[in-house]
Amino acid sequence: MSTLSSCTRCGSPLSAGDLRCAVCALPCPLPPSGEGPYRAVAKVLRCDGCGAALTYDVHAQAPRCAFCGSVAHLEESEDPLEEAEGYLPFRVAPDVAREALRGWLGSLGWFRPDDLASQSSVDALTPLWWVGWTFDVEALVSWTADSDAGANRSRWAPHSGQVPMTLRASLVSASRGLKEDEVARLAASYDLAQAAPTPHPMEGAQIERFDVQRSGARRIVQRALEAEAARHARQYVPGSAIRNLHAAVLPKRLSTRRWAFPCYVLAYRYRDRLYRAIVHGQDARIVFGAAPYSLAKILAVVVPIALAIAALVAYLMLR
Amino acid sequence: MHAMAAFECQSCGARVEIDDDRRTGKCLYCGSPQVIDRPPTPDRPSPTFGLAFVVPPERALEIARGFVRRPLFAPTSFRKAKVDDVRGIYLPAYLYTAVAHTQYSASIGENYTVTETYTTTVNGKTVNRTRTRTVTEWRDLSGRHSVFVGDHVVSASRGLPNAELESIEPFDWRAIKRFGPRLISGWATEEASLAPRDVADAARREAADAIGARLSRFMPGDSHRNLRWQTQFDHEDLELVLVPLWILPVRYREDRPPVRLLVNGQTGQVHAKTPISWPKVVAVVVLMLALIALVVWLVTEAR
Repeated sequence: MSTLSSCTRCGSPLSAGDLRCAVCALPCPLPPSGEGPYRAVAKVLRCDGCGAALTYDVHAQAPRCAFCGSVAHLEESEDPLEEAEGYLPFRVAPDVAREALRGWLGSLGWFRPDDLASQSSVDALTPLWWVGWTFDVEALVSWTADSDAGANRSRWAPHSGQVPMTLRASLVSASRGLKEDEVARLAASYDLAQAAPTPHPMEGAQIERFDVQRSGARRIVQRALEAEAARHARQYVPGSAIRNLHAAVLPKRLSTRRWAFPCYVLAYRYRDRLYRAIVHGQDARIVFGAAPYSLAKILAVVVPIALAIAALVAYLMLR
Repeated sequence: MHAMAAFECQSCGARVEIDDDRRTGKCLYCGSPQVIDRPPTPDRPSPTFGLAFVVPPERALEIARGFVRRPLFAPTSFRKAKVDDVRGIYLPAYLYTAVAHTQYSASIGENYTVTETYTTTVNGKTVNRTRTRTVTEWRDLSGRHSVFVGDHVVSASRGLPNAELESIEPFDWRAIKRFGPRLISGWATEEASLAPRDVADAARREAADAIGARLSRFMPGDSHRNLRWQTQFDHEDLELVLVPLWILPVRYREDRPPVRLLVNGQTGQVHAKTPISWPKVVAVVVLMLALIALVVWLVTEAR
């Protein structure tokens, strides 16, 4: 987001093309213009095309020249489609990702098939830049809740409080390809300092798009901020059982950035069935996904235990 | 009150006289739409933003005609009044935003159930029974609540009181436009006749009411009562804005002033203070009383 300056009320960076601060609604400072009139003057607005008088036309919803029909524009808040401003580089090569998958398949434990790592074949490996926002904020969180602390006759007693909250690079996913829990496992291990303004060449890479406009993005980030505030407030509520937790946020210096994060989506085949796995694009140690269990091995454990229990029960009953 | 100032028409050079409380006018000789640019003063700032007309005049007329036909207790002359005069004006208003720090206190109701034993008589025998009853325990709670409050609108015109403007709110502030002469060219536009300090208290009251509604949802417990709050507003901002209104005078009787009907020029929300026909009200009340009397008579006769 190209930053002009900061809002004088809440300290949040202002975005180009905004008329008001997106966080606290204070008007953005006007771009410096010439001095205003010293005395009142009457102006006739002219059409740039033909010089006839221009009036606002409600049907065209724009200033329109009645003579030649040309339409002028009014300055309003821009609402462009969101685009990533920082692409994090792939630090794991495709071959390393394949190896990482094989290593992961071999490390899943005894209940998996013995030949899982050796007999699986990778059908497809897609480098994927998935997209999301991070936001930084310093907020004042006001909360109320009922908890069991200090309860009298009722199980519940009311509590309230106000606590500061600082969030740094809090992630909000905009990805359609990855699920929330997958994003959560990937999120921690990205190095945001290494971002480039454009994606570097990567064969066969898919780049996700935000598919949302700036105004929609702000609503999503606002909801994420409120959810974080509630989570933050929760740790200050005394007692062990909590209900009716409400949190209100007064954000300060809320800044949002748009990122594209690298990962590999792998489809591998084991005994004619396809499974999906994800390898982190910057840290090959992070691998997760779906993998088959070995029914034979599970039965080999469960059946003897069941038989032993049955034998024990039979012995105790017959005694 | 109605001071005029003379300007020179940029199109034909003729003398154009325009009221001091207007921001636009028209040259009588060539019909050119004039937009006045006055040096701002603390009491009469320049508009920062405006909302544009979205509802066309034909639609405003339709909405108004539908509205006058509705009220049952209005005089028949009102419900049949011809509505064909429609004027679009930009009304000056102040847009209020602030940081609200609120100190609140309330009684929070926490429910619990008690099981009690009672005796009752069943088939002539006395038996013991139990039942559960929900009891509310009231606990005091106080605290602080801090949020941004925004987009409260207060009329900046002496001609149109704030209560009347409220009747056709809300406006959609997402469609806000930077004020410029292009927005108002060709449209009647009023200058602010109230200064920011004249409306600040009304704006704060509106914001404090909104805080009350938010606090009511913010309270924990199963219920609450005696909610009291005191809000301190910081970093207040009042911006002069222009909002689009369609005004339609409804003339329904020669001897009465016309009723002013307003249509929100952005959303189509409509309102007017409809006159009440007292003969109609009396007729309906009498009819109801007669019906009740008839029913009572029928019932007593039937016995």
